[in-house]
Amino acid sequence: MRMLTEGAAVPAPRPPGDDRRPRAGAPVRDHRDANERRMARVGWIYTMPSLVVIAAVTIFPILFSVVLSFARVRITYEGFSVEALTLRNYLALLNSGDWYYAIAFTVGYTVVTVAVELVLGTLAALILERLAGARGWLMALLLIPWSMITVVSAQLWSYMYNSSYGVITWVLEAVLGLESAPLILGRPLPAITAMMVADIWKTTPFVAIIVLAGLVMLPRDVYEAAEVDGASSWTMFWRVTLPQLRATIAVALLFRVLQAFGVFDLPFVLTGGGPGVATQSLAVMGYKVLFQDLNIGPGAAIATSTGLLVGGACLLCLKAFRSQIGREELS
Amino acid sequence: MTRSRPRGRRRVFTLVNLGALLLALGTAAPLYWLVANALKPGAEIGRVPPTAWPEDATLDNFEDAFVGAGFGTYIGNSLLISLSATVVVVGLSTFSGYALARLPMRGRGPIMVALLMISVYPAIAVLTPLYLAERQLGLLNSHLGLIIPYVAFNLPFAIWIMRNYMLSVPRGLEDAARVDGATPTRTVLWIILPQVRPGLFTVGVFTFTATWTEFLMALTINSQDAYRTIPVGMALFGTVYEVPYGTIFAAAVSVTAPIAILVLVFRRFVVSGLTAGAVKG
Repeated sequence: MRMLTEGAAVPAPRPPGDDRRPRAGAPVRDHRDANERRMARVGWIYTMPSLVVIAAVTIFPILFSVVLSFARVRITYEGFSVEALTLRNYLALLNSGDWYYAIAFTVGYTVVTVAVELVLGTLAALILERLAGARGWLMALLLIPWSMITVVSAQLWSYMYNSSYGVITWVLEAVLGLESAPLILGRPLPAITAMMVADIWKTTPFVAIIVLAGLVMLPRDVYEAAEVDGASSWTMFWRVTLPQLRATIAVALLFRVLQAFGVFDLPFVLTGGGPGVATQSLAVMGYKVLFQDLNIGPGAAIATSTGLLVGGACLLCLKAFRSQIGREELS
Repeated sequence: MTRSRPRGRRRVFTLVNLGALLLALGTAAPLYWLVANALKPGAEIGRVPPTAWPEDATLDNFEDAFVGAGFGTYIGNSLLISLSATVVVVGLSTFSGYALARLPMRGRGPIMVALLMISVYPAIAVLTPLYLAERQLGLLNSHLGLIIPYVAFNLPFAIWIMRNYMLSVPRGLEDAARVDGATPTRTVLWIILPQVRPGLFTVGVFTFTATWTEFLMALTINSQDAYRTIPVGMALFGTVYEVPYGTIFAAAVSVTAPIAILVLVFRRFVVSGLTAGAVKG
């Protein structure tokens, strides 16, 4: 609590002219000369305000959330009280079918949408790269869904999927002659598919733009060499382009996976997690338990388990993170 | 070899054009539907089969959104919160990014990895303590109550981007400034800052977009009508039984159009900024 108060009370002033303040705990070693030590101190003074705000509002709550997940919490008018420490929250989770389903749904949703977005995004990037005149306009068009508020696009898709007057329902029913179309959001599998389509529409441009940036930076001479060797454009893509794009695609993959794992806005507005719990992601489940049922302890357990899953994924990707830093340091 | 190349090229070109056309249509169709239905009167929005373009085009929905539903308040809240958070983030990340790129601090590597991990940590895992703390401090349902977490959550990525831009500034400039006796702060403000203007722009665009679209925190922290941001207002329009799509779409067009126009006008600048930031970050 205290840490957050401090972080909040200091509304993160910009630190101009701060360099004459006393030392801020810079690590000092003898073999570094005086100027270097002075500059390191300045560095910490520049960095401290940011680090304090970040620690107060993210790191401290993350740790406190872990504590809450082991607690029985009661919300009162004055605030809240931690009544007892217990393992019950986690035991309840382990016995909850909804929790396993939410994990399976979130993982499955992440895998499918990210895979489709990577393939489509790469295709779109290849198209954009070969497009001469219209590239700027097409990119501007692609940026619109990306910059749109997710809630807005979710409302738009919910209207298009509407069972009585949605345009997609009408197309499936009247144009394609499907009998069972009318309840897109009312049955589990169609609802999940519908949600994925909406996500893919909105996020493919992000992947396309990142991959395009990688494509543009590829050295030309490799292509010329391959062309001289008589490689077809198909071989060229698989043997020359794709291997060189690996780092770029890895970055796109990493960001998309971690974003998709916290998916909340789209299911919350489009389906409310329904029908039943068919589209209930971990974040939606956590939100419902925490803020609709006000079950702080169990909710914190869901939140913490989500965090652990993401943290585990991050650790797996740590090498990629490190190499990202390494690459930048070289440049 | 030389004979097969032009033929291959020509075929690729038509495929590319076809692909581009599909891409444009797929992206534009839902957007068209949004605009078209914002202009339709209530009865036409619910008509089956749907009308391809508004037959009774009207601006009633816009009047409903701004006069009846008080959508202007939400826009005001969003503007205030997003702009404040963006200004603070740009300011803080400039100095931190410079320090982490150039100053000889120990532990820069671990700090950068930690920042990257925090920037992708799911918000739901932080929300309960944040909510309880703000409740205790009386910050729920206030502008500051959202500005503070928005700053904290967008800083890590912003610092990353700024650091990467700082790395590309030639070192000679700073050395010259130091020889001239400039203090580090003066050096950052007068020498470095003009060099990383695209970086400032990228951080600004990223932070503004992220805070402008953020939903989960805004929904939990500022649920009271007077403090709702656009996404929250948009999600909570209507009731369980009736969703006033016309009003929602009119509001949606009103908040999407300005950004879309900005993107169109500055597209070259925005795209290069976004790609630089995204690839490096």
